[in-house]
Amino acid sequence: MIIQDFNYALRLLAKKPGFTALTTLVMAAGIGLSVYMFSFFNTIIYKDLPFQDGDSLVLVSSSQNGKRESNGINLLDYAEVRSSVSGLSEFGAYQNASVNVSGRDGARRYKAIYTEANIFAITRTKATVGGGFSPTDNLIGAEPVTVIGYNMWQNQFGGEPNVIGQSLPINGSSHRIIGVMPQGYLFPNNTQLWLPLKVDYGQITRESAQIAHGIAHIHDSSTLAQVNQQLQVVMQRLELKHPDTNNGISAYIDSIPGSREGEAYSVIYSMHIVAVLILLLASINVGNLLLSRAVERGKETAIRVALGAPRSRLISQMLWESIIICSFGGLIGLLVLAWGLTITQSIVATFFVDPPSFWWTFGVDAYTMKLFFTILISTILVTGLLPAWKNSGGDFNSVLRDGTRGALGKKAGRLNRILVISEIFISVTVLIAAGVMVVAAYMQSNEDIGADIQNTLIAKILLSDDNYVSGEKKVQFAQTLQTSLAKGVGIEDVMISSALPGDWSRRTKFLLAGKEYTKDNNTSYPRANYIAIMPGALGTLGVELKQGRYFDSSDSGLEKKTALVSENFTKLHYPNESPIGKQLRLSDDDPADWITIVGVVENTIQGSREDKHIPTIFRPFTQDPRQQLTVAMHMSADVAKVTDTLRQTLMSIDPQLPSFQIETYEQNNARFTAPIQFVSSLVALFALAALVLAASGIYGVMANTISQRTQEIGIKRALGASEKTITREFMITGFTQFLIGGIPGLLAGCTMGFAMSQIFGTSNLAVFIIAFIMTFLIGAVVMLATYLPTRAALSMEPSEALHYE
Amino acid sequence: MSTALIKLDNIEKIFYTEEVETHALSNISLTIDKGEYVSISGPSGCGKSTLLSLLGLLDTNTSGKYNLANHDVSDISKSERARIRNMEIGFIFQSFNLISDLNVEENVDLPLSYRKDLSKNQRQALVQDALAKVDMSHRSKHFPSQLSGGQQQRVAVARAIAGNPSIILADEPTGNLDSKNAQAVMDLLDKLHSEGATICMVTHDPRSAEKAHRNITILDGQVISDQLNTIHDQQSLVG
Repeated sequence: MIIQDFNYALRLLAKKPGFTALTTLVMAAGIGLSVYMFSFFNTIIYKDLPFQDGDSLVLVSSSQNGKRESNGINLLDYAEVRSSVSGLSEFGAYQNASVNVSGRDGARRYKAIYTEANIFAITRTKATVGGGFSPTDNLIGAEPVTVIGYNMWQNQFGGEPNVIGQSLPINGSSHRIIGVMPQGYLFPNNTQLWLPLKVDYGQITRESAQIAHGIAHIHDSSTLAQVNQQLQVVMQRLELKHPDTNNGISAYIDSIPGSREGEAYSVIYSMHIVAVLILLLASINVGNLLLSRAVERGKETAIRVALGAPRSRLISQMLWESIIICSFGGLIGLLVLAWGLTITQSIVATFFVDPPSFWWTFGVDAYTMKLFFTILISTILVTGLLPAWKNSGGDFNSVLRDGTRGALGKKAGRLNRILVISEIFISVTVLIAAGVMVVAAYMQSNEDIGADIQNTLIAKILLSDDNYVSGEKKVQFAQTLQTSLAKGVGIEDVMISSALPGDWSRRTKFLLAGKEYTKDNNTSYPRANYIAIMPGALGTLGVELKQGRYFDSSDSGLEKKTALVSENFTKLHYPNESPIGKQLRLSDDDPADWITIVGVVENTIQGSREDKHIPTIFRPFTQDPRQQLTVAMHMSADVAKVTDTLRQTLMSIDPQLPSFQIETYEQNNARFTAPIQFVSSLVALFALAALVLAASGIYGVMANTISQRTQEIGIKRALGASEKTITREFMITGFTQFLIGGIPGLLAGCTMGFAMSQIFGTSNLAVFIIAFIMTFLIGAVVMLATYLPTRAALSMEPSEALHYE
Repeated sequence: MSTALIKLDNIEKIFYTEEVETHALSNISLTIDKGEYVSISGPSGCGKSTLLSLLGLLDTNTSGKYNLANHDVSDISKSERARIRNMEIGFIFQSFNLISDLNVEENVDLPLSYRKDLSKNQRQALVQDALAKVDMSHRSKHFPSQLSGGQQQRVAVARAIAGNPSIILADEPTGNLDSKNAQAVMDLLDKLHSEGATICMVTHDPRSAEKAHRNITILDGQVISDQLNTIHDQQSLVG
């Protein structure tokens, strides 16, 4: 009997290949897109780390004034957390670092961490060769040792087993290799070198204590929320005890992948909602198409009932169509999403200079398959069960008696209205959310970072060796490099800075002379980007001078204290006066170290484009040298030639210093907007799918509804209604449905839009404009979807319409 | 002296479907005077409903000339045809064709609602008057699904007469009714005719045709017989 029903459903679907293809593709789009979105975010944010107990590993970080920070926690605060919080165990701590490793073929820069000894025990991974750290390795004065990564072992040491005990020059000092970690172990994030974190807790003060990332395992019996509550209590106690340093400071735990979510949770939630809505839209469309077919076959169903078919059998017959369409559509969707996840891997790699997080392996995993089958079954039920149930429970006697669509048509009409309203609601919501994302991506991509980025090659250099401990040495290196490179082949200008406009830079708290600040410095001191730049570089980079002067040779000297500030700094702190000659001081510096502002330059954006409002303070590199510097070179030759010049010049100055992250300034800038561009492209694809699904769906439902009312149109025309009157009547009905679905959709879309605008800095006005345009667009779709079928129905002569079946 | 309300001259209707020409009506010429009660009969597919559709301006003739109330309506605009249908013609259909979402009162009001020359009060008065004529005032708030077939057809008659049209066109008005209800509807049409209404009815029921004062018979799209109903002459003579 099941086989018979299955064959019958196949025959029906084969009879209408257009219908079958359309519904299958709609389901493929709906299932494929939504499963892709869930799988993508699961990999990034929710996936457990790939080692034993990876699901219970959490990151302990601090927050300031309720805002979660990702740079770690003060080690003394963390010590208090360790002793007071009961829901966590196996505490560890590490600091991220970049180190220079000298080898036979020159120096290279590696991602490393300074860590407490138990890091490998916490991550349940043993060294593949040698061993891990012992607690004594963390003591001040202990022999420098290191554990290296598998790739480094293979590349630097050819995979030799006798690597243990060999010496590795890291940042100019020798370290004994004590272990090699297994292949694929890159904890916490693409790390290739693990070094002991050496802290003398007896010597450090709360003010001077370092920041580190805390890690621990959360107990099975505890939840994140419970532990976070405990942490708040502990931190409040510390705040009372140390108001000077801990005002507004708290702590929180999160899973390590989850901690990447950061402030973007509203965007992520919105995108999950969008994915669900797309699936719903596809299901409604297919459900409606199946319902229309069921209504068309009302007479056939009535005959079957008259012949004694049980309701379950009728439902089963109709459900088979849905099972076939959803399964086949789902299979196509699965294949496309598998391909999509594969290419996502390579796309995501372009977001970062270093490889992305090691657990970000996109593909059809167990989670994806579980989700796929859950969604598949849900769509079968949504698309098949409702039409089957509706159609199998109609008044068949009336259908058989007068041959009209009577009661079933009316019921279907009501359902059709609900479907149209749902589609309008969903499409307006999705389009507004997508519109905000796309506009935000466009605005961020076209944001003026404050510098000219064309035809410029950039590279980073880390002065971490013992040779560059003093400021003088750093300044001397920078000056030598600048002079040497300027003479190099293919280089027009050289600009050296701790961070270029557009790139991440150090942020600092500062005080302005003559202004009062309360003791709770965490909340009262203003913050700014804090950049050291060689004199002459700002002008060459194209950062325009607005007031005063650029840095020049008179600013050289470690004892001198001058600064340039950005325009938004002036606007924020000296709105009605010139800042030239005013003084500022870093909150951590000596109270006598006042810095004099000598000029104002145009605004620059440092790091995330959403942080464009944060002002910038520039210092001459010759006064405030830094460990890491970025070299920018205007090119008169190709990238390869200039890169070669850079490497040779650097080799001639210090062969132990590697340059890294060599790329064009444009590539560097593009990377900052690549994630949002990718996500916005994804959302734009969803929006396009939503628009096509909504337009086809609304048109399909409307055309079906109006087609069912053709006789009514004939009657009204026979009674003297003009075409205009009937068109107006249908347009009003369509518009009413648009309002019923569109207004809640507008509200939901605006809510998501405003949540996203908080992250992307899109203005409220822009959200309103996008919301208006998208609502108008769907309104136009609805009106067109009403107008065209109405015109088609009116193109018949009234006599024809009266007898329309 | 009788006045011609409808005058057809060589009316022809051809349906074109997939290169096949179907001559539904050929060279139909006839006149219907004001106050006449005419039946059109013939076998299924002979063209009688097509003729009624042309008379009711529900369809257009392929050739020939159609005069309604001394106006040539063969080639008028769609909106003008709609206006004439609304003002001059009342329709009664075999399957009642009431709008299921509207109650009795609203169904009867439907053609009046398309007229701009009537106030709401005037329309209401006309609706109540029409419902009273068909004895359906007590069901004015009911929906069609709550009425029997006979009651539904009485409502349809009320809708046809509410706007005082020049002519009532009835297409098999008793086709979906049992004999008792059919008789009631025919009596109603009789009554309307006696009050001065012009009625043109398509039927293949000889008993319904007998009620008309003039019987036109159509075969293969042509009028093959057009004669006065002698029974009524005899009745009037007896009367």
